[in-house]
Amino acid sequence: MKYLNELKKARWLSSFLFLIALFLVTGMVNPDFLTYSNIVTSFNGSVVFTLLAIGIAFVIMTGEIDVSIGAVMGLTATIAGQIAKRNGSILEMLVFAVLIGMLVGAMNGIGVSFFHVPSLIFTLGINGALRGLIYVVSGGKTTENFAGAFTKIGNQVLFAEVTIYLAIIVVIIAVIHLLLTKTKKGKYFIAVGDNPNGATLVGISVMKTKMLAYIICGIFAGVAGVVFASKYGQVNIVAGTGYEMSAIAACVLGGISLSGGLGNILGAAFGAVIMSSVSRMLVFIHLPSNFNNTLTGVMLLIIVVADALVQRHAVESARRKRLLSRTAAFDAKVGGKK
Amino acid sequence: MKSIKGLLKHWEFILLLLFVLEIGIFGVANPAKFFRASSILASVTNYISVCIIALFVTFVMITGGIDIQASALIGLTSICIGVLWSDVGLNIWTAVLLAMLLSTLCGALSGYFIAYCGVQPMVVTLGGSLLYSGLALLISGLSKTPAYQGISGFPAKAANGSFTGFRFLGKGMLFGTIPVPVAIYAVLILLCFVLLHRTKYGRKVFLIGVNPEAAEYSGINSKLIVMSTYILTSIGASIAGVLLTANIDSAKYDLGSTFTLSIITAVVLGGTLSTGGKGSILGTVLASLMICIMRYGLPLCFGIKTQSLDLPIGIMLLIVVIGRELAKNKLILQLFKRRK
Repeated sequence: MKYLNELKKARWLSSFLFLIALFLVTGMVNPDFLTYSNIVTSFNGSVVFTLLAIGIAFVIMTGEIDVSIGAVMGLTATIAGQIAKRNGSILEMLVFAVLIGMLVGAMNGIGVSFFHVPSLIFTLGINGALRGLIYVVSGGKTTENFAGAFTKIGNQVLFAEVTIYLAIIVVIIAVIHLLLTKTKKGKYFIAVGDNPNGATLVGISVMKTKMLAYIICGIFAGVAGVVFASKYGQVNIVAGTGYEMSAIAACVLGGISLSGGLGNILGAAFGAVIMSSVSRMLVFIHLPSNFNNTLTGVMLLIIVVADALVQRHAVESARRKRLLSRTAAFDAKVGGKK
Repeated sequence: MKSIKGLLKHWEFILLLLFVLEIGIFGVANPAKFFRASSILASVTNYISVCIIALFVTFVMITGGIDIQASALIGLTSICIGVLWSDVGLNIWTAVLLAMLLSTLCGALSGYFIAYCGVQPMVVTLGGSLLYSGLALLISGLSKTPAYQGISGFPAKAANGSFTGFRFLGKGMLFGTIPVPVAIYAVLILLCFVLLHRTKYGRKVFLIGVNPEAAEYSGINSKLIVMSTYILTSIGASIAGVLLTANIDSAKYDLGSTFTLSIITAVVLGGTLSTGGKGSILGTVLASLMICIMRYGLPLCFGIKTQSLDLPIGIMLLIVVIGRELAKNKLILQLFKRRK
C-alpha cells in the first residue's frame, strides 16, 4: 500500500502510462506495431533524444533552462565526424565531446549562477556563438565519408535486438535515478529548483548546484553529438538545430516542471521516447510523416494544459478544505462558549 | 556633465552610442561600399521579419512571458496565402486577410492557454511552435506544388520591372528610395511606441510585468491583457509573413523557422528584462537595427562569411548581458566611485 501511494505521486508514471497508451492505440489501428522488435526499435531510435533530455533535465530541475545543447551537439558531432574521417578512435571523440561539453556547461553555469544573467538569454548567446563556431570548424561543408567501423557501432546488437547505445543508456539512467533519489547530494538539484532561498538557508550552495547541473547537461549534449554522428553517418552544418526544443518538450512530457523543483530522470527518458516514437507510429497508422510536428505539438499542449488544470483544481480543493476545517473549528469554539 | 551621467543610465542611450560606434567602425573600414543608403535599406528589408516581430515580442516579455512560436506563424501565414491564392483560387487580398486571421487565431489559442489556464508561456509557445509549423506543413500538402519548391508567381511584376499589387508590399519603393517593408516597419514602430508608452494599455502591460498580483488586485483584467500580447505578436508575425512572401515571391511552410533566437536576441539586447516589467520599443528598434547593420557590415567590410555571422552576434549578446549585470552590481560600482 505504501508503495502504491508513492507510485501515485510519481510524475514519471503518467508519462510512462501515456507512452503505453500511445503504443496500444497504435497497436489497435495496426497490430503489426506491437511486436517486440518494433518496440525495441522505437527505444533504439530514441538514444540521441534521451541523452539530450537527461542532460537538460538536470538544468530544468534547478529551475533554469539551456537552449545551447543543440549547438553543443552539432559541434561535437562535427568534430567527431572529422575524427572519424581520418579513422580516429571513438575514445578520442568522447574525450573531445566531454571536454567541450564541460567547457560550454561551465561557461553557461558561470553566466547564469555567477553573473545572474537570465538563463534563456545567456544560453541563447552561447548558442549563437557555438553555431558560428560550427561553421568555422566544418568550413561550411557537410562532414561525411566516415572511415572505419564508426557508423557500424550504432547498429551492433548486444542481445535481443538491444543496441549497445540503448544498453549503456539504460544503465546510465538507472544509476542517475538512484543517485538523484537516494543520495543527499542528488536531492540538491530538486531542492534548489523548488526553493533557492530555502536551499541556501539549509546550507546548499545554489551557485555550485546550478553550475554542476549545467556541466552535466553540457557533457550529455556533447556525448549525444558523438552518438548522432555515428547513427546518421553524416553531419551537416545545421545538425542539432531545434533539438534543444525537442529535449525541453521531452522533459515537459515527462512531467518535469519548467519552473523547477519537480520531476525526475525517468520522466525525461520516457518523454524522449515518446518524442522520437511519434514519427514511427505515424508510419504504422498510415499517416504521412507530415503529421509529426502537429501531433507532437497537440500532445504537448494537451498534457501541459491538463496538468495545469488538474493542479489548479488540487490547490483550490485543498484551500477549500482548509477553510472548511477552520470554520468548523471556529463554530465548535463559539458553540462551546455558549 | 550631470545630464550625460543621467543619460548613461538609460540603456537606450548606450545602445545609440554603440550603434553610432558600429557605423563609425564600418564606415572607416570601407567607406566606399558601406555608406550606400540603398544597400543599407535593402539589408534592413532582408531582416524585416525579425525587426517587426521583435517589436511585438517586447510587449510579451514586458509582461514576463516569452513567445517562441512567432517564427512558426511566419511560415503558416506564408503557406496559407500561397495555397488559398494558387490552389483555392481566391483573390490575393482575401487570401492575405484569411491567412492573417488564422495566424491571429493561433496566437489567441496560445494566449488563452497561457493566461487562462496558467501554463508557463515557454511550454505553451514551444508546443505552439511545433503545432503551427506542423499545420503549415500539412497545409502545404494540400497544394499541387511540392512543399520544398514553394509557391511562386504572385502578382504582379510589370513589364518595366516595377512591382504592383501584392508584390508591391515586399519589393515596392516609396518615392523611389524607401522600400515599402521599411516604411511599414516605421509605421509599426510608431504604433507600438504609442501603444506601449502613451496609452493606458501600455501602463497595464508594464504593471503586470512588475507585479502581477498588484495588477490583479487593482482591478485590471490581467488575464485578458496577457492574452492580448500574444495576439499582438501573432499579428506581427503574420505581417512579417506577408511581407516576406511578397519580398521573395515564394510561399513556403518553413519560412522564418530559424528566426526564433534572433527575435529574442533583438528584444533582450534592446534592454527588455526577460523577467518582465522593463523594456522599451526604442531599445528593441535600436537593437534590431544594430544586428541588421552588423549582418550587413561584417561581410562587407571585414570579409566574414554570412554563415558564420551567428558567432559575432552571439558574442555581442553575451558581452552586453554580462556587462549589464556587472553594471548593476553594487560592488563594482563602488570600485569605480573610489577610483574617482
